[in-house]
Amino acid sequence: MKRLRILIMFVLLFVTVVSLAQPIVVKGTILDAKSHEPIVEVEIINLFTSRGSTSDKAGKFSISLTDTNKTKLSFHHLAYETKTIQVNSFLNQETAIILLDPKTENLDEFSIIGQFENDKPYRIEYLNQKNIAEAHSNDIGALLRKEPNISGIKKGALGIDPVVRGLKYSQLNVQLNSGVKIEGGCPNRMDPAIAHVDLNDLQGITILKGPFGLKYGPNFGGVLNLRTQRLTFYQTYETHVSALMGAQTNQEGYKTKVRVNGGGGKLAYDFSGNWKKYGDYTAGNGETVQSSFQQYNLTGKIGFKPADGHTIEFGIDRSWGRNIDFPALPMDERSDDTYIYDLDYLGTQIGKTINFIRAKVYRSDVHHIMDNKNRPFSDTVVSISDIRASNTGARFGINMNLWKGRLEVGGEYERITKDGERTKTLIMQPGLPVKVEDLWNNALIQNGGIFAEFQKQSHNIEWIAAVRMDLNSATSNPLLREKPNGDNVYQNENTSSQFTNFSASAGLTWHINASNELLFSMGSGTRSPDMVERFIILLPIGYDPYDYLGNPLLKPENNNEIDLGYRLTKNKVGQIYLSGFFSLLTNYIYSKELPPSVVKPQTPGVLGVKQFINIDYAYLTGFELTYSTPQKYDWKLHFNAAYTFGINPTVNGNDPLAEIPPFESNLNFSYSFFGNQLVPELSLRMVAVQNRVSIDYNESPSQAFTTLDFKLRYQFSKNLNVFAGVSNIFNTAYYEHLNRNIIGSTLPLYEVGRVFYLDLIIKL
Amino acid sequence: MKKLILFAIGIIFFTTACQQENQVKAKYIVTDAVSAYNLQYLDSSGELINETVYPESAQDQWSFNYMANEGDIVYVSGNYKDINSALKIMILLDGKVYKQASNEGDTLKYLTVSGTVPYK
Repeated sequence: MKRLRILIMFVLLFVTVVSLAQPIVVKGTILDAKSHEPIVEVEIINLFTSRGSTSDKAGKFSISLTDTNKTKLSFHHLAYETKTIQVNSFLNQETAIILLDPKTENLDEFSIIGQFENDKPYRIEYLNQKNIAEAHSNDIGALLRKEPNISGIKKGALGIDPVVRGLKYSQLNVQLNSGVKIEGGCPNRMDPAIAHVDLNDLQGITILKGPFGLKYGPNFGGVLNLRTQRLTFYQTYETHVSALMGAQTNQEGYKTKVRVNGGGGKLAYDFSGNWKKYGDYTAGNGETVQSSFQQYNLTGKIGFKPADGHTIEFGIDRSWGRNIDFPALPMDERSDDTYIYDLDYLGTQIGKTINFIRAKVYRSDVHHIMDNKNRPFSDTVVSISDIRASNTGARFGINMNLWKGRLEVGGEYERITKDGERTKTLIMQPGLPVKVEDLWNNALIQNGGIFAEFQKQSHNIEWIAAVRMDLNSATSNPLLREKPNGDNVYQNENTSSQFTNFSASAGLTWHINASNELLFSMGSGTRSPDMVERFIILLPIGYDPYDYLGNPLLKPENNNEIDLGYRLTKNKVGQIYLSGFFSLLTNYIYSKELPPSVVKPQTPGVLGVKQFINIDYAYLTGFELTYSTPQKYDWKLHFNAAYTFGINPTVNGNDPLAEIPPFESNLNFSYSFFGNQLVPELSLRMVAVQNRVSIDYNESPSQAFTTLDFKLRYQFSKNLNVFAGVSNIFNTAYYEHLNRNIIGSTLPLYEVGRVFYLDLIIKL
Repeated sequence: MKKLILFAIGIIFFTTACQQENQVKAKYIVTDAVSAYNLQYLDSSGELINETVYPESAQDQWSFNYMANEGDIVYVSGNYKDINSALKIMILLDGKVYKQASNEGDTLKYLTVSGTVPYK
């Protein structure tokens, strides 16, 4: 059966290559019509064949054409008005100059400032729709793991939790559509924020590293912004339908997506649905890994333009997760029901001083149920945890031209609630006794903040400075755990805390000359403890086998970071970007073992109880190096390498911080045949051994590994795109350092072995 | 027209996707008792039923059938007061023995057979 699928996949690809003509290559440069700055990542579409290309960092593009008489090229960019040009009009020019007019409506803060916004002096990684479509991944965390210095903690079939430069969980500010926050229900983070969003609904992901993007909320270690498909207002009424269908061998399963979008000048809409079902997979060593899951969602977005320059959008995302395996945790996720509501306003063309005003109101509700019914322990006790979490918030910002620069001021508010219990049914005892205990006891965290960010460009230096202040408060009903006879195991009634946090950052980009840039940033980002760190009651949620106890009196932790970068961009060489960072983490939130005389563990098999505490300081340092060949060549090579090292000087004389990924490098090589119509790509991933492991956390070293993937992108017609490939070609048996062990053992959670896949994207 | 056809295909995907949970036939069987015994068992609604059964011989069989969902707890527990009696409890799922246990002349302990309907 497997062979038949592979055969069909490759016969399809082979047959469709036959009728291709020799192309003529047209080259040009795309510039901003006002500033004459080059525009990067403009999508150029041949309207005759619907094939396309994109512009590079210098705004340059090339596209192959087969019939220049009939051909019109259409130029698309989020921040610019779309332009359509007859090719004959610039065919005699050696290099055509295309000017695009800036678009000032319907943009979020990540794209509204265009190039200026992108040239921040700190490290930002961008993943666009092409990266996402080609990735053949079901998990946003898995996709992010290929970016430099981004890894993920894997515990099961879905929900890989991102780790950026050694920082994780609420040390990262993860948000949807520039502001929507999602609070997962599971204490063991089966469902981090990214698990509630379907990867196929995303148009892009922005990862901002370091405590610098302070206008996006309290930021300790970085911002991950997931952007769903944007609404498009068409000049005349249009409707578009597209579908995605994908299947694979190994972890056999399939995914489908249907999307309908369209509208006119005043009204736009976008509706879509995703459906996925996958089974267990076989690792490279032949082991079967429980990894089945079922996930589906429906989304809807409607936008209005009540007046020129003013846009109101309303979106709903309803998602379901069912029977998701988590072999590294004591339970599996039985169901996840999530609602996300989002209302946005963006106002432009308000005056000469005001660039834009934006406002957002949102709510996310998560209902998470997990149980141990598929575990051997359920023969005596069936445990079911039922948790509801919500996040309600609002944001407001105004961006102005002031003091020959741009000032943005605003504020936001966030209210997180969590409540839930665990029901234990003792099924071997007569009368079926049932014990109910609180996991979260009406826990509440509120955060309100204000910010100001100023950007200025003078001569060959761009600089930026930002400050923010947050008021954070938290409370919960008393933390209580009782024995079956009613005696207290642990009780803490002192659960309220309040903090005022200050954060600040500054940085500059020095354009030494046309090719060389130096980037420097320094920042101090503060974040308050999260729900788990404050209110968890004796559950084994960490890397090590301990029951963890929250500490409502924890202080906020602080990241004082310096970043230095160097970027070389040359037409013939490509781009080299080297960045390094050093973080001094003060009041770092860590954990400390409590003596049994204080509290005894409640989970069978754990070694004791650890409570969250603040330690004076810890360090993190590391670098990222990326290299990309110029976009103008048909062949493209992309290389990245990254390393992070963290130490805790307060334990065991410089104990390495736990769960830091090892040195890693990635090499991608691709070649564009027939004007980007057929693009095969080889990806080599090399990960080093990790011996710098935390003794304090009983962390195990991990082995080095190398994997090779092959993928093929083929544009069959203007209606059909084919993505096919083989990942882990050599069926290597490997596991990432951050993969948790199989629960109750020291066996690692192996990654999937060789996979053949085929994805089809149909657009009408 | 093409768009409508594609959209219809999508709707079919989604309507077929929203299927009911998988159900299995659960059957409890109790035999081997020669005199009255007390039973506790869970029914399809998750309610714990108490019942006294009066068999006429060890060959008499008490049984209870219902449709259970994946993940449901199946549970039968019984005891007797007659030292000459015995109990054998079986739980069958889709006709196959899922769990069973038996005892003889033990008037103190409850004989309990239980578990959860496995996920396929």
